[in-house]
Amino acid sequence: MAATPVVVNPKGSLWSRLPLVKQLAQSVGLQRGMLVAGLVLVALFLLTAALAPLLAPYGFAQLRDESGRFGSQQPPSAEHLFGTTVSGYDVLSRTIWGAQTAVLVIVVAVTMSLIIGVLLGVFSGYFGGTLDRILVVVCDAIYAFPSLLLAIVMSIVISGGQSSLLGGIMSAAISITVVFIPQYFRVVRAETVRIKAEAFVESAKVIGASNMRIMFRHVLRNATRTLPLILTLNASEAILTLAGLGFVGFGIEPTSAAEWGYDLNRSIADVSSGIWWTALYPGLAIVLVVLGITLVGESLNDLADPRLRTRHRAIASPAAAATANEVDELEKPE
Amino acid sequence: MTTTEISPSAPLDGTTTERVKGGGNLGRYILVRLLLIIPTVFILVTMVFILMRLIGDPITASLGGRLSPDQLEERKEAAGYNRPIWVQYVEYIGQVFTGNFGTTISDNRPVSEVLLTYGGATAELVFYSLIVAFVVGIPLGLLAAYLRDRWQDASLRVFAILCYATPVFFSGLLLKLVFSVWLGWLPVSGRASTRTELDLLLLDNPTGIYLIDAFRTGDMDNVWDVLAHAVLPAIALGLLTAGVFLRLVRTNVIGTLGREYIDSARSRGVGELRLVRKHAYKPALIPIITVIGLQIALLLGGAVLTETTFEWKGLGFILVEYLSSRDFVAVQGIVALLAVIVAVSNFIVDIIAALIDPRVRY
Amino acid sequence: MTSASSSRKRALAVLGGTAAAVLVLSGCAGGNTGGDDNGSDAIIVGTTDKVTTLDPAGSYDNGSFFLMNNVFPFLMNSVPGSAELEPDIAESAEFTAPTEFTVKLKEGLEFANGNPLTSSDVKFSFDRQVAIADPNGPSALLANLESTEAPDDTTVVFNLLAENDQIWLQILSSPAGVIVDEDSFSPTEVTPDDEIVDANAFAGPYTITRYGFNDLVQFQAYDGYQGLLGTPKTQTINLRYFADQSNMKLAVQEGDIDVATRSLSATDVEDLSNNDNVTVHTGPGGETRYIVFNFNTMPFGASTPEADPAKALAVRQAMANVIDRAEISDQVYKGTYVPLYSYVPDGLPGATQPLKDLYGDGNGGPDVDKATALLEEAGVTTPLAINLQYNPDHYGASSGDEYALVKSQLEESGLFTVNLQSTEWVQYNEDRVADVYPIFQLGWFPDYPDADNYLSPFFRTENFLVNHFSDPAVDQLIAQQAVELDEDTRLQMLGEAQEMVAAQLSTLPLLQGAQVAVAGTDIDGVSDTLDGSFKFRFTTLSR
Repeated sequence: MAATPVVVNPKGSLWSRLPLVKQLAQSVGLQRGMLVAGLVLVALFLLTAALAPLLAPYGFAQLRDESGRFGSQQPPSAEHLFGTTVSGYDVLSRTIWGAQTAVLVIVVAVTMSLIIGVLLGVFSGYFGGTLDRILVVVCDAIYAFPSLLLAIVMSIVISGGQSSLLGGIMSAAISITVVFIPQYFRVVRAETVRIKAEAFVESAKVIGASNMRIMFRHVLRNATRTLPLILTLNASEAILTLAGLGFVGFGIEPTSAAEWGYDLNRSIADVSSGIWWTALYPGLAIVLVVLGITLVGESLNDLADPRLRTRHRAIASPAAAATANEVDELEKPE
Repeated sequence: MTTTEISPSAPLDGTTTERVKGGGNLGRYILVRLLLIIPTVFILVTMVFILMRLIGDPITASLGGRLSPDQLEERKEAAGYNRPIWVQYVEYIGQVFTGNFGTTISDNRPVSEVLLTYGGATAELVFYSLIVAFVVGIPLGLLAAYLRDRWQDASLRVFAILCYATPVFFSGLLLKLVFSVWLGWLPVSGRASTRTELDLLLLDNPTGIYLIDAFRTGDMDNVWDVLAHAVLPAIALGLLTAGVFLRLVRTNVIGTLGREYIDSARSRGVGELRLVRKHAYKPALIPIITVIGLQIALLLGGAVLTETTFEWKGLGFILVEYLSSRDFVAVQGIVALLAVIVAVSNFIVDIIAALIDPRVRY
Repeated sequence: MTSASSSRKRALAVLGGTAAAVLVLSGCAGGNTGGDDNGSDAIIVGTTDKVTTLDPAGSYDNGSFFLMNNVFPFLMNSVPGSAELEPDIAESAEFTAPTEFTVKLKEGLEFANGNPLTSSDVKFSFDRQVAIADPNGPSALLANLESTEAPDDTTVVFNLLAENDQIWLQILSSPAGVIVDEDSFSPTEVTPDDEIVDANAFAGPYTITRYGFNDLVQFQAYDGYQGLLGTPKTQTINLRYFADQSNMKLAVQEGDIDVATRSLSATDVEDLSNNDNVTVHTGPGGETRYIVFNFNTMPFGASTPEADPAKALAVRQAMANVIDRAEISDQVYKGTYVPLYSYVPDGLPGATQPLKDLYGDGNGGPDVDKATALLEEAGVTTPLAINLQYNPDHYGASSGDEYALVKSQLEESGLFTVNLQSTEWVQYNEDRVADVYPIFQLGWFPDYPDADNYLSPFFRTENFLVNHFSDPAVDQLIAQQAVELDEDTRLQMLGEAQEMVAAQLSTLPLLQGAQVAVAGTDIDGVSDTLDGSFKFRFTTLSR
């Protein structure tokens, strides 16, 4: 793999264009359909999160209004379109507010793991030495370990204090971050090690340019091809991990924020008693959001990979096939 | 839950490549990979040791709501939890090196016995799930590749994503409701019915793997009973991986179909399905082998939720229990075992990959 | 095309094969689920409680004691249907001097393995409890035991430190008072469960014949048992352990198990009560749920800048007036927990209901006006901000609902604004004794079913709550009742102590748990064991 010279995307960095628009134009047929469907779901999710205060009929921890207490496990009705939970909360409202929690956790978790992972990766790859070796082995160890278990342990460590909204979200996000850092670290470090060996870096060093600046520029430019995919995958994984944490009882406290996994956990007994509405909606919300994000991620991946782009274009030229092999090697660097 | 094929199962070049650089020697490669297992396990165990000491002690966990702080302190002192953490660490590592994993604090059982009992259960569940994943994921992946860009392909891909997008506890809940409660076809939970388990308890040296034990009882009813209990958990957990396999097979078959030798075969007039079957199938399966290594970690993670949902008393299930009772000894032992399993399966996968494709070891 | 179609067939065959395999498996399962019984009339009981260890020296929890009470003998116990203590395998048990408690064993007692059960086993059992003093064990209950003697084969003399200890009888029926076989148990360390089972070292109404730890246990009646719990009505009992309440609920609903006991969620119980195939049995429960006030850090507490005992008292009393227990019981617990108006749960000798008279509308309901007046009189500006802490993982997931409702009730009065927070269990316990939480949730399950166990650990100056409540008069009263020989006088003292605490509100009792067991309609005798002793005995069960 190290033998392949780096191919800097001649069209310039993806960040400089509007990535989704470009790919949307690039796609055709069913592929476009899947991308659009994914984008719609994600847009809906983001809108719901942003407009939760307007959309939700009640607060996520509201137990009563002017006309009295909601009552627990009430079936869907005009006042409560999705019914009420065992705790007496409005299911519709908690499902909507849950989107906000999910977005917050995703944003915090992905941003933190991206920043930390990239920084560690660049430094570790650039300076090498003992620290690098240790970091690689540590990341491998973390990476190899079942992520949910790690997140559970981390959340106990972090949430030792109080379960405020911020505390709850941060502890969930940090637990997820710890799991994700190795993924970014691996990709970025590999890229760094490669580029470090490149002649132009050597020459840049000779003329006294700042090494780190060069590293970051090149590494990031090259990594932008894979990072968005990891990003979307992590976003969906973050939701599943958050829900998993909530489900096993290490999540966010219900009066601090609405969280789908917690609601699902509390609805287990309901389902076996024929009360279907408390489990269905938070469950569907998780599935749809993960579906949307993954559709976008997979479509982006397909479009970035000429072999997978819709056929008649994909194998048009030998050049495309050659690029494809490079992508292949980049992606499977064993 | 890593579904990306971007992330390699072996450590990125770095340490490995640098050490074996230029060697191209398989024996040496295997040795290096084998030696790397030790630090991986060691680091995880150390991390867990430190983390567990940060989150409280087992005595407060079990008796915190009943005893006064002085009484608790007294008991902690007696149990040695008040000693400096490094003293406890050295003691623990020393024990581990002599092969003694200790006795659980909360229920006084030898850790080795815990690992054996619950490890067997998890191994069994993971095995069944892998079967489901193979049986569902690979044919459907081939089908999707064959019918690529048609609506069937799109539906199969959405199905694959749904498999992955549905949390195990949600799908488990639905499966239980439909197949056990409404249709009454399958048992609700557990690994065997009371009658079968009583038979199994009579065995002398139970393996902990119920299917084997059930065969040993010589009663086929027991075997069927054990299998029936495995169906729903295996599907719930297996589908998770089936989605990954489906996607991977599809991508790789399409990728191989794009290769030049396939092109030439195509130009010779070989039919598309024959191409899939004869030429693209086998090379496309190689990445699957690599991914299985990753899937072991994913499956073990998913097993926590599946085991909890279906009352399947395995390692993941018991680990959460021991975590909440802050049983250092038990948690450390289980984590060490999991780490060994993951590391060894990655090792095996890497070796297989290296045997198949010599490029891997440079 | 031919090759394509044949391959397609093959692909379909693979898929079809998968489906067929699943169907075959499910089909055979269908045939199997009905035949779950082992033998003719074995009864399968389910529980979500867990065993720590069978050895009484190594465990101090409900799940383990549940087993012990069915397989080990005690010196004192109570007949099913009653909580009153009587000699179990003893002929007599009484104070022969103020610090000397003498027990006469029945003649010819034997363990199931044939070893004689003599006073030497009894002495051994108590000595090893004290010697092992396992961190998870109940040895703390034996604080008043100075030494044990066995002058002859049937006589045991306990030398006590404090005189006329009325609680001693209770201790003899508690986890600390289990009698074990000196030939099968280690004198110095906790004996592994498998060794106990292999040695067949049982002498209770049942023995354990097959043992799958926290999974499945088989009990067979022991015909050498001569104790109080009576002759087992069913030869074989199987006990299945569940980790998840709803799985157990489904199991009892589907007939996989015959009886489901501790514990089912409120939703499950409500749903099962509408099911014709099962009967929901309830009995008085010993579990309590209450709010603790930290007298130092609560609003106007002793270590706050605006310390004022009168105002602090007014705040506590106002809260007691505003809380609507019936609503919590109905909405959150569907009646599986009932309102508690005292410190000692209803059903125990000596329980009174002082909080019903002192606070609220006099019938147990809330009275906001009274609370408003109290705070006004004390000069407390309203709404008063309070911090309320609860734990979500130790007392069941419904705690979250319970405290959301408490918060809602307090805030609706217009007198309080509540900042509600939760902390996981271990941290919670470290924080609560370090004065971190001004007002917080706790629960209690008794060591032994006696009013004393609901007062003395809580309200003496040296208490496990560490909430800085101290009243010399209460201290004295609690100490006196513990050595009072006359039962009526003692009950009166207990009542008085409850009233004294109720006026000062060291804690605010909220709810009392009911014992709930759900059984198939063909199972008898479940109600007989759901009494104030809170012990679930297998002996009464029959089909």
